[in-house]
Amino acid sequence: MMNNPQNKKRQDKSGAYILLLFCLVILFSAWDYYSNVPVGPYQLIYPSNFGNRINIPQDNPTTKQGVYLGRLLFYEPKLSANNKLSCGSCHQQDKAFTDGKAFSEGVDGVPTPRNSMSLTNLLWTRRFFWDGRVTGLESQAAVPLTNEHEMGQALAVSAKKLKADKQYTALFELAFGDPTITGDRILKAIAQFERTLISANSRYDQYLHGTYQPTTDELKGMELFNRDPEPEKGIRGANCARCHGGVKNYSELFHNNGLDSIPKDNGIEAQSGLASDRGRFKVPTLRNIALTGPYMHDGRFKTLQDVVDHYSDHIRQSVALSTFLRGQSNEKNGKTLKLLPEEKKQLVAFLNMLTDYTFVNDPRFSDPHQPASKNKHL
Amino acid sequence: MKKIQTLLLSALFALLLNPAFTSAQTGSKQATVKVSGEVSAPLDIKLSDMAQFEQTKVNRKDRDGKERVYSGVMLSAILQKAGVTMGKDLKGENLTKYVSVEASDGYQVIFALVELDKDFTDRQIILADEVDGKPLPEGDGQFRIIVQDEKKPARCIKMVTAITIKFAK
Repeated sequence: MMNNPQNKKRQDKSGAYILLLFCLVILFSAWDYYSNVPVGPYQLIYPSNFGNRINIPQDNPTTKQGVYLGRLLFYEPKLSANNKLSCGSCHQQDKAFTDGKAFSEGVDGVPTPRNSMSLTNLLWTRRFFWDGRVTGLESQAAVPLTNEHEMGQALAVSAKKLKADKQYTALFELAFGDPTITGDRILKAIAQFERTLISANSRYDQYLHGTYQPTTDELKGMELFNRDPEPEKGIRGANCARCHGGVKNYSELFHNNGLDSIPKDNGIEAQSGLASDRGRFKVPTLRNIALTGPYMHDGRFKTLQDVVDHYSDHIRQSVALSTFLRGQSNEKNGKTLKLLPEEKKQLVAFLNMLTDYTFVNDPRFSDPHQPASKNKHL
Repeated sequence: MKKIQTLLLSALFALLLNPAFTSAQTGSKQATVKVSGEVSAPLDIKLSDMAQFEQTKVNRKDRDGKERVYSGVMLSAILQKAGVTMGKDLKGENLTKYVSVEASDGYQVIFALVELDKDFTDRQIILADEVDGKPLPEGDGQFRIIVQDEKKPARCIKMVTAITIKFAK
C-alpha cells in the first residue's frame, strides 16, 4: 500500500494542503491581531453636566487601539509576580471595580493596608489613593503593579514577559507606533482603558435628566442628603452633599470624618506632617456605593446602614476632626447628626439610586481574556 | 546620694534637650504657604514670617452668626513681595492672571488677580493667622483666607497651603 505511487502522490498533495492551511492560519491569526482591533481617537462620551475638568496627559492621548490594549493589560495576570493576579483581581466590574474585602491580598499573601478603591469616573480624578499621594492615572498604576504586597513585579520584568507574546508585540506597535514594550507604555495603555470607565447612567442620573421618577423614600433621602441641618428653623438634614454632592457624587477632598479619636492610620498627615491632617482621607465617590462595601479606608463598616449610623451617632472628636462635622446636628446643641431611623432608611434608599447597572454590566469593561460564554458580563 | 541626684538631674537635662521630646511638646510641623507660579521671587511663608508684613484686621461674621476679628496680612502685600505684577504693572495681558488658593484638605478657590489689587478695590482680602487675638481654632489649620464682606464664606478657605498665580489660557 505504502509504496503505491498513486497513494504517495495523494499523500504529497494532502501534505501540501495541510501546509497551505497552516500558512493561512498563521497569516489570518497575525492579521487577526490587527483586524479585530479598532483604531483611531477614542471618543470619551459623558453628559455635559459632568463638566470638562478632565485629565488626559498630552503624551498619552486616548485611542481605540490604546484602550483595547489597556483592557487586555488590566486583566493580564502575567503582570504579577505569581502570574495569578491582575488589576481586575482587586477591581472587579460587578462590584464597581472593588473586591468586597476590607483588605486585599497581594502576591505574598500580605493584606494591603487600606481598602481597594472603586474605579469610576477616573477621567476627572486628579489625586489617587486614599491619601491622594499620586497625581495622574499613569503614575497611580505603577504602584499596585510593583508593590511587593500587591502584584509585586518590576515593570521591566512585566515588559519582558509580554514580549514573549506575539499578540502583545503587535498590539503595542498598533498603540504606540513601534513594537517596543516598556513599563511606561504598559502604564499608559492601562491608564487609557481606565479613563473610559465612565459611569453616568444611575437612577440618579436618569432623575437629573428627567427620565426617572424617584420613590417617596428616594426623594426624601435626596433632600436629607443635600441639606444642612438647621434645628432652629426646623430643617432636617444629613449634610452629605458638602463632600459627596454634585452630579458625579464626588469632590476631591480629604477629611477626618470622626472614625477614631486616635487613628491607627494617620492618613495625609504622613505626607504633610501637620497635626490638622491627622486621620484625613480622600472623600470617595458615592457612585455605585451600594456595590463597593465594606466601607471606609479600612473597610470597618459592612453596610450602608453602618455608615449612616456612624455619621448620625458615632462621630469621634479629635483635633483634626473636620470642622463641618463639629456640632452639626438635627437637635439643638447636639454633637452629631441624630437622624431618625426612618431618615436613615431614606438616605440608604437614595444611596441605592447611585448604582449604575449599565456600568457594571458594560461588555466594554469586562475581562477580554475570558471566552464570551464564560464571561458573566457579556 | 548626691551622685544619684546628679545623675538624675543630668538625665532630665538630656531628656529636655532631646529633639524628640521638645518636638512632642511643641506639636507637629509648622504649616507653610507656598507662593509660586507667575512670580519673580517664590516664597514659603510660615507663621513666624507673618510679622515682617503690615498687619491688617478684618471683621467677619462666622457661620454661627457671631462677629469675629481676623488678623493677618493683605494678600496683595504677600504677592507684592513675591514679585507679582501688581499696581502699575497690573494691565494688559496681566489682567488675565488669576490666583489659585489651595488647602491641605484638597479644597481650592480662585481669585482674579485684580480682585486683590489696591488700585482696583478697597475690599480687604487677607491671609489670616489669628482670630480674636488667638491662633485659629483646631481643625482650621494655621492659615485662612478671609474675604471682607463676601456674602458666602465659601472663599474663606481654611488650612491654606499654596497660593499659585497663573495666566488664564
